[in-house]
Amino acid sequence: MLIEQAAYANRWRPVSPAAKGLFAANALIAAFAASTPSTAAIIAAVLMTVTVLGAGIALLSYLRVSAPALLFLALGCLSLAFSIDVGNGGPVLQLAPTGWHKLAEVGARSLGALAALLFLILTTPLIDLIALLRRLKTPELLLEIMVLCYRMLFVFSVAIDETLTAQSARLGYASPRLAMRSLGELAANLTLQVWQRAHALHVAAQARNNDGPLRFIEPVFPHARRDCCIAALAGSSLIALALVLR
Amino acid sequence: MSAPLLELSQVSYRYPDGSVGLKDCSLAIQRGSRNVLIGANGSGKTTLFQHCNALLRPQSGAVRYAGSAVDYRRAGLHELRSKVGMVFQNPDRQLFSASVQEDVSFGPLNLGLDMATVRQRVAGALQAVGMQAQADKAVHNLSFGQKKRVCIAGVLAMEPELLILDEPMAGLDYAMQTDLLTVLDGLHERGITLLVATHDIDFAYRWAERIHLMADGRCTASLNAQELGDHSQALADIGLPQPEVISLYRGLLARGLLPAVPAGPAPRCAASLLAMLAATNHPKESPCKIA
Repeated sequence: MLIEQAAYANRWRPVSPAAKGLFAANALIAAFAASTPSTAAIIAAVLMTVTVLGAGIALLSYLRVSAPALLFLALGCLSLAFSIDVGNGGPVLQLAPTGWHKLAEVGARSLGALAALLFLILTTPLIDLIALLRRLKTPELLLEIMVLCYRMLFVFSVAIDETLTAQSARLGYASPRLAMRSLGELAANLTLQVWQRAHALHVAAQARNNDGPLRFIEPVFPHARRDCCIAALAGSSLIALALVLR
Repeated sequence: MSAPLLELSQVSYRYPDGSVGLKDCSLAIQRGSRNVLIGANGSGKTTLFQHCNALLRPQSGAVRYAGSAVDYRRAGLHELRSKVGMVFQNPDRQLFSASVQEDVSFGPLNLGLDMATVRQRVAGALQAVGMQAQADKAVHNLSFGQKKRVCIAGVLAMEPELLILDEPMAGLDYAMQTDLLTVLDGLHERGITLLVATHDIDFAYRWAERIHLMADGRCTASLNAQELGDHSQALADIGLPQPEVISLYRGLLARGLLPAVPAGPAPRCAASLLAMLAATNHPKESPCKIA
């Protein structure tokens, strides 16, 4: 929901998603092209600054959205830093000889890549991204699944919320045993709802003359060309920065 | 009278679980009219609507559109559904695109229109329901009332001749209901035939030209709204009361506060009744004495 709110409320919402996608792609290249961990960290810092100060994403929201990914990254990096030695009488956890270097290299690059993706998803609503993917000739079937999943995500979050409230109001979660039972009922109920809603959507689509593929209008961004030029310039500057700093 | 725009003759439909949807149901909708279908829950209103849009096919009887029997082959269904638009009761079961204008564009694109025409129709439909400012919004960020409007816009963009709305007022607060009524009146002025399902007899009496009563899968009566006061028994048969304004009007007549031979037709809303009362010369009496 935080991502959703930021994507709709940020300063760069009217900017063409193609431009934002182009900049993010350049930023990803820059993060991987960075020759030293410090350069990759600088790229990440630049991207974060651009997202927070440029697009106007609240710093707290940014940190909260990035927290799960950072945790995952930290765990991954730790596993790179240490190795298990099973040679001398049993398994021993020890620091890998090239552990810290690997950790810094992979960690900094991943941070850069994460910042690039956060820039894209925090400034661009998924509906714009889907429209962009459609223009990039992504297979229709994949896009239809994305559209339906995205829409259903919110429909089901409401359904879960309502069912949870209704269960809690009748002491459905008063004890661990009751909670397990209520959760089971919630899952069963949602399964039924999935089937019913899928059928209802099929009927609704038929009522509007649908006979196969789901077709939608494409949003128009009047300054797309200008936005893309600026994004290309900014993106190539980032790549240049990554190559120049050593 | 010309042939009805839509006509159901002796239509029966039984669901696979054995429950009766429609049973020898007959109904006629005249072009350009405002119709209300009223009946209790489970009386068959939604099943009837799904027959109007050919989402269900009658097991016996016939559905005719503009005098011709509905063709249930692909081309026939395409033609019928481009003329008969249906707005479902629960917007979350109708809206499946992520953004407002995407969803509204779904129907026109299914009609095979070119992109420029689709954009024009989407803009026009959103304007008709007062949602043009929300065109780029995500559907899940809209209020319930706004979602209903988007549902209507999604069907309007297909420019139907007959618009069917399944309990459009359900779940709306008073202000939203008033707004929606304004939208419906606007559509009627544009020549669109309207068929609305409701439980609200007062709304039906106030708004409709024709009122169709439903019970047990059958249309028990089709009445001119103006004559509803003369059909108390038909209403009572399906468990509905008289509209309150009729009861009040008769009470005032009985107490001599309105002339026994009225100058015009019976009032259909409280405002008309008050206007009638104000226009009547009667001795001033205290409300206590009247009571």
